[in-house]
Amino acid sequence: MQVFHIRYRNAQGTLMRILNAVSRRGLDLTSVHAEAAAQDHGVTLQLEVTQKQVGQLCREWYAIVDVIEVRSSASLREHGDQDGAWAPHPPASASGDEPSARAALA
Amino acid sequence: MLKGADIVLRCVRAEGVDLVFGYPGGAIMPLYDALDGSGVRHVLTRHEQGAVFAAEGFARVTGKVGVAMATSGPGATNLVTGIADAKMDSVPLVCITGQVRTAMIGTDAFQETDVFGVTLSLTKWSRLVRTIEEIPEVIAEGFYWARSGRPGPVVIDIPTDILKAKREFSGPVQFTPLARPADAKAEGAFSDAIVALLQQAERPVALVGAGAKLSGAIPELRRLLDDLNVPTFATVHGLGAVQPQSPYYLGMVGMHGTRAANTALHETDLLMVFGARLDDRVTGDPTRFAPNAKIVHFEIDPAQLDRVRACELPVIGNLADTIPTFHAVLRRASLPDWSGWRAVACGQERAELDPRGLAQPTIRFLDELFSRLPENSVIIADVGQHQMWAAQRYRAGSPRGFITSGGLGAMGFALPAAVGVQLAKPDTCVLCVSGDGGFQMNIQELATVRRLNLPVKMVIVDNKYLGMVRQWQQLFYERNYAETDLSDNPDFVDIAKAYKIHGWRLNEAAMAEYPVSAETGDSIDNFLRSPGPELLVFDCAPEANVYPMVPAGAALSEMVFEDIE
Repeated sequence: MQVFHIRYRNAQGTLMRILNAVSRRGLDLTSVHAEAAAQDHGVTLQLEVTQKQVGQLCREWYAIVDVIEVRSSASLREHGDQDGAWAPHPPASASGDEPSARAALA
Repeated sequence: MLKGADIVLRCVRAEGVDLVFGYPGGAIMPLYDALDGSGVRHVLTRHEQGAVFAAEGFARVTGKVGVAMATSGPGATNLVTGIADAKMDSVPLVCITGQVRTAMIGTDAFQETDVFGVTLSLTKWSRLVRTIEEIPEVIAEGFYWARSGRPGPVVIDIPTDILKAKREFSGPVQFTPLARPADAKAEGAFSDAIVALLQQAERPVALVGAGAKLSGAIPELRRLLDDLNVPTFATVHGLGAVQPQSPYYLGMVGMHGTRAANTALHETDLLMVFGARLDDRVTGDPTRFAPNAKIVHFEIDPAQLDRVRACELPVIGNLADTIPTFHAVLRRASLPDWSGWRAVACGQERAELDPRGLAQPTIRFLDELFSRLPENSVIIADVGQHQMWAAQRYRAGSPRGFITSGGLGAMGFALPAAVGVQLAKPDTCVLCVSGDGGFQMNIQELATVRRLNLPVKMVIVDNKYLGMVRQWQQLFYERNYAETDLSDNPDFVDIAKAYKIHGWRLNEAAMAEYPVSAETGDSIDNFLRSPGPELLVFDCAPEANVYPMVPAGAALSEMVFEDIE
């Protein structure tokens, strides 16, 4: 089980676009919790996904213009609800120092 | 005081729009009422799908935002295929739809559809306008998102009472997006990583897609490719980005790509992708796609990375920024000698399109037609066999010279798109190549061509079948030609005549002699150079097939070159 936390501007349809990225893949939404968070809004989703889908979903969510930040982690239950379990998911370019580039050079 | 409709048009005009395509109806009537004197020219198509494809054609050939208008309900839903097409092919498009009165929304009123909801998953951004006050901001933001980053479609749905309402208007506004924490541009470090990969590579190749054109970085890309001098090929939307006479250029890649391109892509150990999605028509079986390659992926849209196959080195950003950054580092680097690999990959042995070469009359015909086109002509291909034949034979180096519905594969695209292209480029030869199936999907746009006297040159490759489906039925469904027979097609020349458009017919027999006879050549020249619209029906063998072909689920190395029954 994977948990995703997405921060977004609560513009028309943004939450629906986030959910649509899930439904178009035929995934079941085990849990959805959305609420105002500081100046923005946040939604936490719990999904049964493959590792490949984690990357695809994070990138697709980040491509939504009103999404600000996407984070993912394994289920909170599996990690004892620790803050450190969250892994940021900015779809950044590879540089010479990053794991993907190192893998490429290996 | 201005009406909402006037404010919409003033804001649209402020975005640089002077041409829109559309079809009027009840809820959008106030906007049509305000058109006169607005500075925005409206082109009436004969169907809303024609309007949105025409707007797409305009956008694809100019790089500007195309605008389509339609009324609520069926008008809006008729736009949906074009919106999906623009999403798949990264076309900047704004659709403005009328909606029922604000108070009636949600009541299943006459001609009410939830167009915001219907198009939510197909648009890059959309809004249902709720007050007259927000019109300037919505228009500004909509156009910003349509053209920024990876371009895409936007829908702005405006209730009819808001179009009729009045308020003071202080002028259009500009939209400035808020920065996001992870929007940082790619920095130079990726260049060193790519150079390191190149220094280890024995068989590097480059794949060019639509992103190279959309970024406006064609000169930079061509200089980079000249310096790299590695086997290079293009997706269907990348055609024209690379000068076809470049010695390292191998043509189109993918399901109906050239033998040379597909073979090199299968053999490579380092694939550099410049602005392509790596969709399934390019990769074949993704598990056997470039099986020995590491992938460097230059891409503006992070959502496209790792979609089909994981890449080792993503370079996210506008190619107009990332290519020069990389090139500057590459120039200082020492690279291996790849002349042996180049000689194999680009050699004559692999260069032949198909063992039968020019034996097929339709290929001969398209070759003959394309060779006689004036410079800088634009070809718009519909969807099907003729599309792939045309893409295989396209040999011009014009980045926006070959236009087609690639990602969505929407039949009926070509004729209305040609309307938009011709209006954008009135002095350019615009050649619309369709099949007999696709042409009939938007045949009503002959009326638009006639009304505007657009000198579009229309070719129907008529095999009296839904040819590509029939080809698959022949090869994979034991010749069960279920519902693909179009032998009762109308006489297209007579149809053209009814629209007061000159039409004529060319038979395959005219291609028996090759090069063609002087008489046939003159006929084609006259067709291409006539001042008005013209229709040419080319009678194609019913069971002609497109080869090479990578069967669905096969690897690119498993191309077939002839019927496999």
